[in-house]
Amino acid sequence: MTDPASDAIIELAGISRTFGGGAGRVVAIDGVDLRVGRGEFVTLVGPSGCGKSTLFNIAAGLADADPGGEIRFGGQRHAGRDLLGRVSFMPQRDLLLPWRRVIDNAILALEVEGMRRADARARALAMMPEFGLAGFERHYPHQLSGGMRQRVALIRTFLFERDLMLLDEPFGALDALTRTMMQRWLLDVWQRHRRSILFITHDVDEAIFLGDRVVVMTARPGRIKLDVAVDLPRPRPAHVATSAGFLRIKSALLDAIEEESMKSFTMAGH
Amino acid sequence: MSALSRIAYPVAGLLVIAVVWEAAILLFRIPTFVLPSIPSIAGALWGDLPALLAGLRVTLYEAGTGYVLGAVAAILLALVFVLMPLVERAAMPIVVAVNSVPVVAYAPVALVALGMGSASKIAMVTLAAGFAVFVNAMNGLKAVDPAAVNLLRSFGAGPLRTIWTLRLPAALPAIASGLRVAIVRSIIIAIVAEMLGAYAGLGQIIYLATQQVDFLRVWAAIVLASAASMAIYGLVAWIERRLVWWK
Ligand SMILES: Nc1ncnc2c1ncn2[C@@H]1O[C@H](COP(=O)(O)OP(=O)(O)OP(=O)(O)O)[C@@H](O)[C@H]1O
Ligand SMILES: [Mg+2]
Repeated sequence: MTDPASDAIIELAGISRTFGGGAGRVVAIDGVDLRVGRGEFVTLVGPSGCGKSTLFNIAAGLADADPGGEIRFGGQRHAGRDLLGRVSFMPQRDLLLPWRRVIDNAILALEVEGMRRADARARALAMMPEFGLAGFERHYPHQLSGGMRQRVALIRTFLFERDLMLLDEPFGALDALTRTMMQRWLLDVWQRHRRSILFITHDVDEAIFLGDRVVVMTARPGRIKLDVAVDLPRPRPAHVATSAGFLRIKSALLDAIEEESMKSFTMAGH
Repeated sequence: MSALSRIAYPVAGLLVIAVVWEAAILLFRIPTFVLPSIPSIAGALWGDLPALLAGLRVTLYEAGTGYVLGAVAAILLALVFVLMPLVERAAMPIVVAVNSVPVVAYAPVALVALGMGSASKIAMVTLAAGFAVFVNAMNGLKAVDPAAVNLLRSFGAGPLRTIWTLRLPAALPAIASGLRVAIVRSIIIAIVAEMLGAYAGLGQIIYLATQQVDFLRVWAAIVLASAASMAIYGLVAWIERRLVWWK
């Protein structure tokens, strides 16, 4: 059934996406090839506006790519739509529903799947302490800090258990301490459940610390500029960030990113 | 403090109007049939109370029935339109055309078709209240954050699930304010419709009293109608605050 030659959970080949037409035409991404292996943790960095979120929308089945590209999921070719409901997707904004309590926001996906509310709540409740949200189950989103809201969005994503998780800057709004904790926790969950993760971040340290591979995108139109394997043994201690291997990868990444960021600024200057 | 001021300010406003009212009568020697004094209106109201209340009951029955029918129909129609864009494209022009004429213009048709009784008033209120709610419901259902819709879609949610879990609650503030606007409009339309031909109701009382040049009675009916409107509006606004507390 699955193609044994490819042990990828998802494979994007030649994926492009153009918005609008005429003078307002924007080529957001242009021929992206990206592969996430089963159980692999891939981090994605790139200048703002290079099409990272656009790529995620396509990989989640929410938007169609331009004709010509190919998406393979679990070894099989798929039209984008087929991926709806099969990929666990965490958008860049938390998108909590203001009329739902924390606990009921957390169980949103389970509810859509048809799980009984009481069962879903019990499962979410058990996860609250891990996310630093114990005692806040009955709060409403407007009563939470930005970081707490993001953690609720994270629980919501994790409760939607799928083999592939797409996380769009999930830790962007967290303070350094919580961020470190959430990173450790995410690695732990990933290792225990062997899910495949594609993870967008603007933080190069985070990208290296978490990823099996770090993928750098070019400035718009987004392409893959660099694909670096992070050959640091796991579990990675905090001080790995000062190791020679880490720094070597980091400097390669920073060079690539700087080059692209300069491009996107000079482009904007025109 | 806030509860006190919520009452104190309107009461102060009413007092100012009453003073200006009485002063104007004295200063400009306004004849009674144009502007009767407040005590005389109060007297008429008191003297006529049983008849006026009977009229009010009829008016409120018509307004209330039409309001509920119109609101339910409007919300259902808006849901159908949102779920079925093709139906919307086909039917929206008709809705707009009907709505572009003041509802009162349909009164002759309603009277001929449904008679002078309550049915014709209820039909017109249904139409008027329905439009007020419909426009708001439509706006609310469509103003939902597309990213939130996408989130639900990514969980595998279909259109019905999205309506129930996301669009309807998100549209609730808009729908509630439509319901609030519609309640006052319902009472107005019921009264106007009664003035155009009815067996009972505040509008009919006003119409008859005008014919008999009984302006005190006209004013008494007006005061009663606006007091009832205000009370019901307050009730609906209170329910709205309970319902959409997160705004
Ligand atoms: N719906 C849309 N219509 C038109 N243009 C769009 C749309 N969505 C995205 N774009 C454009 O596509 C480009 C890529 O946007 P995208 O959100 O994918 O960037 P990003 O890499 O996620 O940026 P950031 O790091 O700031 O989140 C941008 O130039 C944006 O203006
Ligand atoms: Mg983005």
